[in-house]
Amino acid sequence: QEVTVAGKVMDEEGNLLPNVSIVEKGTTKGTITNLEGEYSISVTPGVTLQFSFLGMRQKEIVVDGQTTINVVLKEETIGLEQIVVTGYQTQRKADLTGAVSVAEIDEIEDLPPGNIMKNLQGRLPGISIYTNGHPGSPATIRIRGIGTLNNNDPLFVIDGVPTKKGMHELNPNDIESLQVLKDASAASIYGSRAANGVIIITTKKAKSNRMRIDFDFSATYQQYENHLDMMNTRERAEVAWRAAVNDGIEPNDQLYLFDTGVDGEGHPVLNGVLFPEFIDPQRTMRPGDTDWFDEVSSPSLLQSYNLTISNGNENANFLISLGHMNNDGIIKGSNVERTNLRLNSEFRFLDNKLRIGENLQISRQAEVLIPSDDIMFLALVQQPIVPVYTTDGGWGGPAPGMSDRHNPVRLIEDNLQNRGTYVRPFGNIYVEAEPIPGLKLRSSFGIDYGMHYSRTLQKSYRSGFLSEPNNRVSNSMWFNGSWVFQNTVNYDFTVQKHTFSLLAGIEQIKHNSEEFSASQRGLAIEKIDYAFLNAATELPVNGGSGGRYALQSFFGKVNYSYDDKYLASFTMRRDGSSRFGENNRYGNFPAFSVGWRVSEESFLDKAEFISDLKVRFGWGQNGNQEISNTAIHNLYIAQYATNATWSPDGGTAYDIDGADRGELPSGFRLTQQANPNLKWETTTQTNFGIDFSLFNSQLYGLADYFIKKTEDILISPPYLGAIGEGGGRWVNGASIENKGIEMVVGYLKQVGEVQIDISANASNYKNEVVYLPEEVVNAYGGNGRDKNILGRSINSLFGYVHDGLFTTEEEVNMHVDQPGKGLGRIKYVDVSEDEVINDDDRDWIGIGDPLLAYGLNADITWRQFNLKCFFQGITGIDVFNDTKIYTDFTTVQGTNYGRRTLNAWSESNPNSTIPALSLSDNNNEARTSTYFMESGSYLKLRNLQIGYSIPPSLLSKYSIRNIRVFIQGQNLWTIKDKSFTGPDPENPGNGYPIPAMYTLGVNISL
Amino acid sequence: NKDFLDVPPLGTISDAQLNTPENIEKLIIAAYSSLGNDHYTAPNSLWPYGDLRSGDAYKGGAGPTDLGDFHFFETFVFYSPDNGLADIKWFRQYVAISRVNNALRRINEMDEEEFPLKKVRQAELKFLRGHFFFDLKILFKHIPHFDETATVDDINKAGNDLSNNELWDRIAADFRFAAENLPESQTQIGRINKFQAKAYLAKVLLYQAYEQDENHNVTGINQDKLNEVVTLIDEVIASGKYKLTDDFAEPFLWEFENGPESVFAIQRSIDDNTPQGGRVDFSAMLNNPMNPEFGCCWFHIPSQNLVNAFQTNSEGLPLFDTFNNNDVKNVQDLKSGNIDPRLNHTVAFPGVPWKYDHNHIYQTNWARTVNIYGYYSSLKENVSPDCDCFVKLPPFMSSSKNTILIRFSDVLLWKAEALIELGRHGEALPIINRIRSRAASSIQRLTLPDETLIGNYNISMYGSTGWTQDFARRALRWERRLELAMEGHRFFDLVRWGIASEYINNYFEEEKSKREYLREAYFEKNRDEYLPIPQQQLNWSKNLYEQNAGW
Repeated sequence: QEVTVAGKVMDEEGNLLPNVSIVEKGTTKGTITNLEGEYSISVTPGVTLQFSFLGMRQKEIVVDGQTTINVVLKEETIGLEQIVVTGYQTQRKADLTGAVSVAEIDEIEDLPPGNIMKNLQGRLPGISIYTNGHPGSPATIRIRGIGTLNNNDPLFVIDGVPTKKGMHELNPNDIESLQVLKDASAASIYGSRAANGVIIITTKKAKSNRMRIDFDFSATYQQYENHLDMMNTRERAEVAWRAAVNDGIEPNDQLYLFDTGVDGEGHPVLNGVLFPEFIDPQRTMRPGDTDWFDEVSSPSLLQSYNLTISNGNENANFLISLGHMNNDGIIKGSNVERTNLRLNSEFRFLDNKLRIGENLQISRQAEVLIPSDDIMFLALVQQPIVPVYTTDGGWGGPAPGMSDRHNPVRLIEDNLQNRGTYVRPFGNIYVEAEPIPGLKLRSSFGIDYGMHYSRTLQKSYRSGFLSEPNNRVSNSMWFNGSWVFQNTVNYDFTVQKHTFSLLAGIEQIKHNSEEFSASQRGLAIEKIDYAFLNAATELPVNGGSGGRYALQSFFGKVNYSYDDKYLASFTMRRDGSSRFGENNRYGNFPAFSVGWRVSEESFLDKAEFISDLKVRFGWGQNGNQEISNTAIHNLYIAQYATNATWSPDGGTAYDIDGADRGELPSGFRLTQQANPNLKWETTTQTNFGIDFSLFNSQLYGLADYFIKKTEDILISPPYLGAIGEGGGRWVNGASIENKGIEMVVGYLKQVGEVQIDISANASNYKNEVVYLPEEVVNAYGGNGRDKNILGRSINSLFGYVHDGLFTTEEEVNMHVDQPGKGLGRIKYVDVSEDEVINDDDRDWIGIGDPLLAYGLNADITWRQFNLKCFFQGITGIDVFNDTKIYTDFTTVQGTNYGRRTLNAWSESNPNSTIPALSLSDNNNEARTSTYFMESGSYLKLRNLQIGYSIPPSLLSKYSIRNIRVFIQGQNLWTIKDKSFTGPDPENPGNGYPIPAMYTLGVNISL
Repeated sequence: NKDFLDVPPLGTISDAQLNTPENIEKLIIAAYSSLGNDHYTAPNSLWPYGDLRSGDAYKGGAGPTDLGDFHFFETFVFYSPDNGLADIKWFRQYVAISRVNNALRRINEMDEEEFPLKKVRQAELKFLRGHFFFDLKILFKHIPHFDETATVDDINKAGNDLSNNELWDRIAADFRFAAENLPESQTQIGRINKFQAKAYLAKVLLYQAYEQDENHNVTGINQDKLNEVVTLIDEVIASGKYKLTDDFAEPFLWEFENGPESVFAIQRSIDDNTPQGGRVDFSAMLNNPMNPEFGCCWFHIPSQNLVNAFQTNSEGLPLFDTFNNNDVKNVQDLKSGNIDPRLNHTVAFPGVPWKYDHNHIYQTNWARTVNIYGYYSSLKENVSPDCDCFVKLPPFMSSSKNTILIRFSDVLLWKAEALIELGRHGEALPIINRIRSRAASSIQRLTLPDETLIGNYNISMYGSTGWTQDFARRALRWERRLELAMEGHRFFDLVRWGIASEYINNYFEEEKSKREYLREAYFEKNRDEYLPIPQQQLNWSKNLYEQNAGW
């Protein structure tokens, strides 16, 4: 006896879903929901109904007397039905044959919104993300190691528009999905620029058939966790005295008066230190006890607001999103403010056979131009005796006997008014026609523009013995951008058990850039509102330049599957670039991949614990053209002069008249040698993969093994000096290989009301320089004779091997001939065994690639509560900690020293590993050696989060769909290697510190 | 659409477009520009190579690790062929040479109708090429040498296997061409004239006269070359274009630049529309003291040994054997001893006016790392902070004062040296005395704010009694040290004379008791006379270059 069952199907947020397929299991009998999400079907009681919808997890319900069955479908984020954007088309995850990582956006959507890539660190295997704590800094992304010697940045494709500019100004809140194409078979469709991997981002579209408003707010408190431990004024004096006494020189110092004596054994002892009333001859600076790290940093606030409005029906949909972020960095004064506006809409005509739409965003990011790297360095080296302010309210600064190091507080204050503003319009408009089902013709015109403007005022100052009487206003502006014109045809069809998906397309890109700058001195008032070029009176200086390139590509792809069992994909892309000469302008980049869903085979029918099992193999090639726009030309330029602060003037002007001032005659200089035979750099990648899903999809995972070899790497190598100016030349030179393994394992389980989702990933790669031309084989380390980089990681470090300190006279005497050896000095190993320590004793001493990078994520939901926890770490990596020259030594005079020097070796402290204090460095301990090598391994608790959603039953009467609150912390806890002496192995130098962050957030959805 | 990918380079000029007389003149200016495109990392004034390696100067700065590559120049012991600053200097010389050759190659193709100054400009360029090769030669000894006809491929295949003598001949040939084809004067001050070329040719021949074996031992002195030196310098003197200024101070003051004593100088400029406000003396950019009027970086610090060398005996003659027995340390010592006045033109002492300026008294707190390098500063390349030539180029500072590469007293002393080695030391005596006489009369500016003289100046002429060749040689060498101190010549003098190893190791032996950082310093005979060919260059030449002896 058949009964009629009816109901509604909706998603988790209560949106009614049209076109949901409802099938009686085991039959072909079924129906679909209408536009209101309603369905009705006649079935025999006891059957099972399957509710399925693209991108949603299939749900099965047994009809057992009900006549109304309302169903809530959950979005599929990890399973086989998940839709993955793979380049000019989409595919079911089940059908993928390439190596593709899909980010789980919901795991990171609550994290502070600086840059989504920073939040993805450790979450995707094989993708390394390097960053610092600067509120405006982009993240450096490396996919499957360093594959080339030029630009290693991946290609981003945002709503179909490719860009190499990165995306740190994208509003994370706008991101619907993010996937990374890692191997060539997946990425080849992007051909020429995909060798470093492709990150595909799709932004949100309107989903529901009614007005929807989402408002998100979060506030994040950021804190500087721990900094290098530097000395206070008294400690520094004591160490300076000790260093001088050790050297046997008079410990006279302009800053200190030493009260000294002699102990019972005749050794000099320091009874006390007196400080002068003033440390400067002008008598304006009293001795201070400044903690410069404290002075330049403070806890800070990051605020984020997002409003998204969307609506849609069968004819059109739109989404408007407005986001604002204000991020004060933990270095005082640093700030980034970002506003994003997005408009995504689509209009459908002719019964959805024609669609016209656009995805457009405009972002504005304004940054306070604080020289934060300088400030961090100065906080390290500036002496504590220097006061922040003089007694008359001026700036404290270096006093006699010190180095010419600025007061970092002045650098902050004097730059607060300086801002740079970056405006980035990005997006496309498209027309898509679907004249017959499965055939899609699409034409898209995209723009990828960036414009930067800054006006800065450099103030005059006096700070200790440093002074600058002139002020200066500088304006600069640059523009660069591309337009991207794409035309594609997709045709999907099925013939019996054969499913085909065909793609063909053409893409053209034209890139333009221009910049100019001007500056002038002599402003009567040092205020930013006054500081325009017109208000300045002296020494105008200006400059400007431009560049251009074009790309033209043809591509095609065939995806084939037989009975959902056998999968294959073939890609061919032909790319042309204006950067190459006529003969080598085009490159062909083929790829193929195959997959076998073993689990679909009948012989595995009995192995019911296997939900899915797929093996994959892919091979393909990608290109790279990241070289100068003009590499194929011999070029001269008119160059009047260049800034000669750090390297010689490259200009051509000369005062041939001996006039001493005024406009000078000038000429031209050669900038490069032409290489008309340049050709595309090619990366060939082979990938073996396996995907599995066991025990009713509770346990799932994947593993990939890859070999990625880049040949004909485009380099502009250093050249024989005798050639002289403009001898540089781009060549196809080197080969590099990366091999590695990536793994993901996840566990998903519902236990009563608790849903557990745990996943872990791990990856490793080995980098090897395979080939270098003979003339540059020694340009990457080595001794120029028998030791070179070939066969080693490009991140290898070359130097001396140290073997602790000399602790006894006997040890000193027994050691080989090492100039400068002595008690408490570093002992270097005689690697060449020739009884003398010299150049020949350098060896390979470290590798900057991690042995293992890993992440562990747990997501537990109980009723309205949700707990997320994420650990990330790397292990087996060497870092070169060159700040040790400041923390462990006293040879750089005039700066502050680290408190580690208090524990330096002496006869009364014989177990110390820190060399005896000295001002002279007669043992040349500043040389590159293992003394500076440390382990950069760490494990961090990146994120811990608790969220609570107010039950819908309490909200529905206010027509509020959802309210969710959460608190979360980031970078909460770090385990580092004992050998690491700095504060943060993730940021091993003394760069902008990565803060700990505590966020409180609210999401409201109407 | 093939045209879509034809994108021309922007903002550039092609090789062919440069072959017009106007553009070639501009390329010649670009070649001259190399003179002033030096830098503290590769100064054309040669202070790191000529003074730090000679016992005349300490590196200075924030201690041994500050520009540590220069520290290894000074102490030799840790010097390694991959010294980055030596490599930069090597490269900068060839950058200059490539500009010269680029212009020459194009001039050669012009006929004189189209380019009437063809010969003159060729001669100017060859002078410049000679100069840049000369500095390479005295630094690195065996260098690849080629002319404007060499292509990039030729240069890639050019070894450094020319003999010492052949290299000198080639360098001399450029100066000979210049001397023969240049006019006696040029309207533009910075253009090279005939007598500059003759003077430089004399310098080349003087160096060449001291013949060296492959281990850098001096094996003999070529008398013909010395005779030519004398003849050339006589022509320069006879031209009347150059003479000693009345006061020793003047060549080192901006107000007197391009004066009669300046035979060959780098023209520096200021307020000339360059981004930083001037093509100032970047070679001396680190050599200012640390007081607020300057602020950085206190490099190129006179050694105690150099200061002591300015002591004279009661007769006003040098203390050849005993000068280093006691240290001249302060103003009191200047007053109590007998002092050659050139000391206070050369070395800043605490308590003494800076560059003769009573408003700026040099203080111990103008120094930087007194524990390590003492209290002095170098004066000759520096200026008063009130000079119109002075500019701050944050974080550094410098001036538009020209850098004199050949000073007329240097020329006179070459002649004296040649005469002495020719056995005509009697003729050298008046030359040396002329130099000393000018020094003796150069005390008007050496006053304290109370208008009294800074020191007890006592300098007199040598008498003819006892003026043997040996004595004359000793007097000449001493005179060169005092007259030309801190001007970047000293080390090359020592090597030319073949006495570098004994002299410098003796200096280390004495100076290290005063300067702890010199404890390990040691000059390796038959090696350290020259810098090794930079390791990077050996690599890029695919080991075509041969390394210098000893390295």
